Amino acid sequence: MQTINLLLAGFQSAFELAAFITVVVGLLVGVIAGALPGISFVNAMAMALPFTYAMGATQAMLFLGGIYVGGVFGGSISAIMINVPGTPASLPSTWDGYAMTRKGQVKRALTIAVTASATGGLVSALMLTFLSAPFASFAMRFSQPEFFAATVLGLVSVIAIAKDKPIITLISLLIGMAIGTVGVDPLYGQARFSFGIPEVESGIRFVVVMIGLFAIGEVVDLVASNRDLRPKKTDGKPERVRLRDILAVKGAILRGTGIGCMIGVIPGAGATPGAVIAYGVEKQINPRGAEFGTGVEAGLAAPEAAKNATTGAAMVPLLTLGIPGSAATAIMLAAMMLQGVNPGPLLFIMDPSMVYTIFAAMIIANVLMIGAGFGVAQMFSTLMRTPPAILAAFIVVLSLIGAYGVRNNIFDVYVCLVFGVLGWAMKRVGFPSAPLVLGVILGPLAERYFLTAVANSRQDYSVFFTRPISATILFIAFVFVLWSLWPTLKSRIGRQPA
Amino acid sequence: MAMVDKTQTDLAPSGAAGTGLSTVPRLVPAMLAGMLLLASVLLPAFMFETVREQPMPGLGPGAWPGAILFALAAFSALWLLLEIRALARSERTSSLEAPAEEETYRYGKALGGIGLVIAFGWLLPVIGFALATGLFLLVWCLYGGQRHPLVLTLVPTIGTVALLWMFMGLALMPLSRGVGVFERFSVWLLTFIGIY
Amino acid sequence: MTPTVVLEYAKAGFAASAMIFSASIAAAQDYPQRPIEMVVTFGPGGGADLMGRQMARLMESSLGVSLPVSNVAGASGNAGLTRLRTNPADGYTVGTLISLTVASWASGLGDSKPEDFRIISVVQNSPSFLFVAANSPYQTAEALFEHAQSNPGQLTVATSGYGTQDDVTLKLLAKGGVQMENVPFQAPGERYASPIGGHTAVLYEEPGDVAQFLEAGQLKPLVVFSQERHPAFPDVPTAAELGHDISGLDNFRTIAVHADTPAEIVGILEDAVSGAVASPEWQDFCASTYSCIEPVTGDAAQTMITDFFQLVADQLNS
Repeated sequence: MQTINLLLAGFQSAFELAAFITVVVGLLVGVIAGALPGISFVNAMAMALPFTYAMGATQAMLFLGGIYVGGVFGGSISAIMINVPGTPASLPSTWDGYAMTRKGQVKRALTIAVTASATGGLVSALMLTFLSAPFASFAMRFSQPEFFAATVLGLVSVIAIAKDKPIITLISLLIGMAIGTVGVDPLYGQARFSFGIPEVESGIRFVVVMIGLFAIGEVVDLVASNRDLRPKKTDGKPERVRLRDILAVKGAILRGTGIGCMIGVIPGAGATPGAVIAYGVEKQINPRGAEFGTGVEAGLAAPEAAKNATTGAAMVPLLTLGIPGSAATAIMLAAMMLQGVNPGPLLFIMDPSMVYTIFAAMIIANVLMIGAGFGVAQMFSTLMRTPPAILAAFIVVLSLIGAYGVRNNIFDVYVCLVFGVLGWAMKRVGFPSAPLVLGVILGPLAERYFLTAVANSRQDYSVFFTRPISATILFIAFVFVLWSLWPTLKSRIGRQPA
Repeated sequence: MAMVDKTQTDLAPSGAAGTGLSTVPRLVPAMLAGMLLLASVLLPAFMFETVREQPMPGLGPGAWPGAILFALAAFSALWLLLEIRALARSERTSSLEAPAEEETYRYGKALGGIGLVIAFGWLLPVIGFALATGLFLLVWCLYGGQRHPLVLTLVPTIGTVALLWMFMGLALMPLSRGVGVFERFSVWLLTFIGIY
Repeated sequence: MTPTVVLEYAKAGFAASAMIFSASIAAAQDYPQRPIEMVVTFGPGGGADLMGRQMARLMESSLGVSLPVSNVAGASGNAGLTRLRTNPADGYTVGTLISLTVASWASGLGDSKPEDFRIISVVQNSPSFLFVAANSPYQTAEALFEHAQSNPGQLTVATSGYGTQDDVTLKLLAKGGVQMENVPFQAPGERYASPIGGHTAVLYEEPGDVAQFLEAGQLKPLVVFSQERHPAFPDVPTAAELGHDISGLDNFRTIAVHADTPAEIVGILEDAVSGAVASPEWQDFCASTYSCIEPVTGDAAQTMITDFFQLVADQLNS
């Protein structure tokens, strides 16, 4: 009851004009920045940080929270419309989202994406509001072995996504994981594969790899194939989307939301693994799973719901414990600390009105996102009418700015160019590039969780199987990989005598 | 599997550039697997430039990348074997499939585009973001077939100024100003358009 | 815009550019004329980032120009230092240089040396502590050390890595008979969560980075590695009091520029930093992070960095 009262007070202050405008502006900035190829929501939040100096702590959080919620969705607009994920988390949305666009169902794809995202985000914002305390204490029982197990689940999902070619997918994933080891290692402070070049010690960031592989390769294809980006009206279902179309994918949305809420609490993981695991799981569960990748609505809805469901969940450890689990929440922590506010259990006692205003704002932001998403998508489809050459030129410039902006380092631009050439070549020969990006994301996480877990158990390798939660997750991962590979294995064995 | 409906396109001449390769030449997967195998076998030797002498606790910084490269080598070898077996049986399918393009794909145009993007990235820290971007926008528009003088003047100038304002003015990103005389030009330009 | 108008603009632009290309570089007395880039050598949200952002904000008023912060993270702070070293030595790039990065040179990272930089001022300094969770079985340093002595290597300590000053401290403790297992956590958030969640026995950290957990009573300081007790924690004994004379491995944060920066510009920056440090905002900030010091400038600052580097290098190679 007290929660409800506090939340109502929170809504009251969040609906005050200044606060409300802050949320809306943040949301719009987030959706636009997220939709621009190259500029990820983390980039946008870091750029927005100086603007929060002049705000109060609450307002700063509303602004950054708006950018976060909007940015995580925004990446899907460019993923669906031009096959370039605006942020890594939107990578799975290209698989079925862009396929729908090619079938002439761009509006339909965007509607499903924004509805699924908003639903996922809203559920996780509600979870943040009402269940943050139990969730936080549950999260505290997780330690390095559990994080490692969850990362393994993410890696396994990557294999499950492409069950036709498990070996090639696995090789692509391993290449990504190998690329992820470049630079200073997480425990010993030793540079690996630097070849004597100091710049390489900084390592290779996954955002840079993703921008190179997807944006630059796509742009080059655009100029080489005279492809038209203007939305075409061709075959397929009618463009009008009805409520029952959304209800048809409610199962996918709910599963994606659940997965996103769970993954979001795990530090370091964030939106991308959440979306990938949701896609992998949906592909197994959904009756149309075999058609995924050809423009199936459920294949778009599940990762969309999952990635936005991580937003509220990721804020649970930040607000309740003062522990940021991701780059985005670390920026929020910085904004609060620059205002002299320390998040953590004390904040709930000292300044509950601030906490509940943030909660209310997260709920409002996710509802408003439907409008903001459509508005920006409309803007982008107007932009699509410009000649592809001009559009492509700006995508290249934005991509390199984005690569540079990750760490304000020109080395990252060079890395991006290398992966641009590589991505183009991989696409030409049909070598899958998405597993590579996911390998660069998940590989370093797996390494440090593994090594720290082993060190923390004093070099006891059985720790992953003796801790119940970790063992359970690993068992799920094992079953998952068997389940997803079973059709291939069966056909292999069946074919063998021939 | 999708490979089945690819078999008829496989009969089309696939080597000629410009017609669009609908199927990857038969040898590419095997060569790729071989190269990956070679790389993953050789790379562990180049892992460290300087090695700390004193003993390190735990598995050490080389264990994880070593394990990844070992796995990569093993699966590359497996892929190579499968490819060789497929070649020996002269199966018509390839394990890699190039994207099916309805339109023609011009390789020359693509390579030229890649060259332009690389040139842009290389020029960025030398002549500064503003100049490099203006030049790139102009050249790319020309390359993409835009000939209207209005487009060729307005897109690079307005585009560059807008980008400068957005990222250096508003987002306060320290984009490159170039070196030497180009730096002085960039500083002047930034002062001129009111960012500095 | 018609082509002729464009041509006019081009002419005007050409004239103006001819002017700037002939103009000489602005002299030091005009400094600063344009925004000064504050290179923070770590990502947003950490201790170095907060320091850099506070400092940039507070220096703006006395310098009269803005100091936009750019986070250049990577390689334990060395990526940002490369930027500091390769940008022109004209005072328009200042950066953060912190003890963790200096220690990383000793373990072979980067290609920077203490001589490559001119330390404007050491603005924050804080000794490290050992912390335990509030419900830990070891409520005093004596109890903790006793347990470690009778069960060598059984207690785990969350640190920032092997080969850092954290590692050096633990090695020195081990030499004194208190042997505990170093457990490196790369992400600070996980480093703090692990002891609070009861997964790791002890945390090695400076108090400013865990201020919120100290205020909330989730972490309890047991011992400080310093010559004397910390004024904010008068009840916490020093390691020396317990028979382990370990000090000089404090966490300091400095503002630095390229070594070749003209002396007048260094002077202007030094004044700006001193002004910022004296401001009440800064005093609030450093008090809340337990890191207030009298700023160390000039040769004393330079010596401080070199000595620290030498100490860590000696200990790592011993």
